[in-house]
Amino acid sequence: MAAGSRLPPRALLLTVAPAAAWIGFFLVLPSIYLVTIAFLSAGPYGLPTPPPSLEAFRELAGFGFLGWSPGNLYTLLRSLWQTVLATALVTVIAYPIAYFITTFPPERRPILLLLVVVPSWTNQVIRTFGWMNLLAPDTPLADAAAFLGFVAPELGLFPSRFAVVLGLVYNFLPFMVLPLYAAFEKLDHAQVEAASDLYARPVDVFRHAVLPQTLPGLMAGVVLVSIPAFGMYVIPELLGGGNSYMLGNLVARQFSGGSNWPLGAAGALLMIAATLIGLQVLRRLGRRLGGGEEVVL
Amino acid sequence: MRRGRLQRGLRGFWYAVLVFLYAPLAVVVFFSFNSANSSASFAGFSLRWYGRLFGNEQITSAAWNSLVLAVTSSLIATALGAVLGYGMYRHRHLKLGWLIWLVYLPIVMPDIVFGISEMTFFVTVNDFIGLFGPGLGTMIIAHVTFQIPFVALLVYSRLVGLDASLFEAVQDLYASPAQRAWYFILPTVRPALVAGFFLAFTLSIDDFVISFFTAGPESATLPIFIWSAIKKGVTPEINAVSTLMILAVFAAALMVLAAQRVKPGSSR
Repeated sequence: MAAGSRLPPRALLLTVAPAAAWIGFFLVLPSIYLVTIAFLSAGPYGLPTPPPSLEAFRELAGFGFLGWSPGNLYTLLRSLWQTVLATALVTVIAYPIAYFITTFPPERRPILLLLVVVPSWTNQVIRTFGWMNLLAPDTPLADAAAFLGFVAPELGLFPSRFAVVLGLVYNFLPFMVLPLYAAFEKLDHAQVEAASDLYARPVDVFRHAVLPQTLPGLMAGVVLVSIPAFGMYVIPELLGGGNSYMLGNLVARQFSGGSNWPLGAAGALLMIAATLIGLQVLRRLGRRLGGGEEVVL
Repeated sequence: MRRGRLQRGLRGFWYAVLVFLYAPLAVVVFFSFNSANSSASFAGFSLRWYGRLFGNEQITSAAWNSLVLAVTSSLIATALGAVLGYGMYRHRHLKLGWLIWLVYLPIVMPDIVFGISEMTFFVTVNDFIGLFGPGLGTMIIAHVTFQIPFVALLVYSRLVGLDASLFEAVQDLYASPAQRAWYFILPTVRPALVAGFFLAFTLSIDDFVISFFTAGPESATLPIFIWSAIKKGVTPEINAVSTLMILAVFAAALMVLAAQRVKPGSSR
């Protein structure tokens, strides 16, 4: 905010300052405060108290008074794994869907897109509650799974890791379809036809003619899906049990039941760090694969 | 011939995905008309849960809170965001890197981190000077914070789409800043303002995590009410409340569709 000196200060102040001050006071300041908390000790009731310490980070790494335990490490790895898996599945489903929509005449496409997007307008809690109903014991889905021997008959399909990944896929599918659709809309069909005419196998047509052209959309989709999925709280809390919790649940827990603010703040920092690293990796990857076209977030 | 098969396969896949997308919502709607207490089996059609809904003070006050929160925060965010969008446009030659960073921060921050940093901040400030006690006020503040960027970006992109010489023309005609704002800028950005307000409203209604962490004991919104009902063990009324919220979303979607029918292709 130091760049003010050679600007027309009055006009800039009048227009930009109110909102900037709002975000600065109500988001930047609280974030700085949260970072500070991570470097304090946990006092009574888990509230942060003065002597600065790295105790929270030690605890986050798994060191407690009973020695080291891998619980938090597992939570981190599980968050990563569930995020990667969900993003991959979302991609596989979204590609044909995005392409399918572009096979319709332009004036009908918005309706098809709307059909994909509308469910995501309803509240996340309600959508997840719907899945709880569908996956509960004695439902057709659970019965079918029991018949095939995946679960015991008296159990439902949730809480489970399967349910969490399913919930993530369900939740983020539109976030991948939209950018991929935008990419397919600009697709040069002549290239695809030329490839088919030259007897390229479908796999090769996809790899050489379709993928490079839709890569910016794909990368945007991966960013839009994986980053919020990694920080997900609602879905693992409702559809997962203790062994499908993600980092978001670990963090949230420290501010309510378990109550250890510094530990929770350290977890939040880890989450932000992972998000930034992920963004950077995806940008690099996009630049290398996409032949220079910058993926704008 | 091969293309035909591909097209048929795609169509089948499309319908499968639609079933996947709508099944969880359909189940909620279906069981809201169940006369039995549990979601395990359907015992017959009944509207009793809807009747129970309107007598339940917790639910009506949660609905009221949701509405007040969405309307108030959207109004504030539209005002602040519009002015910010205009400022970003007027000063776009200055390459305000820090400002872009500030505008994108609320969008990219994971909502759990967002909610928790607000919560810790409010609680601590409240402990020291008795301000920002958790409640509807803190929720409004938090919602405005994540709504501002969306409104600002909408207004900004509307202004960028205009012919820059229009601004000079207005200046050449000796309009005062107030006249310029009232007779030129406001009418031109009105579509962006309307869109911004509704987007902000939708974001507010849709939010759970940030509301959850900034709410006070008396300020539960509908999603928070539903959440705690699920956590405590399902009460059948949730299906009915959820159904009403789903219906509201579909009504909004139909309105969007109707608006698109009225002026096909001329959305920008």
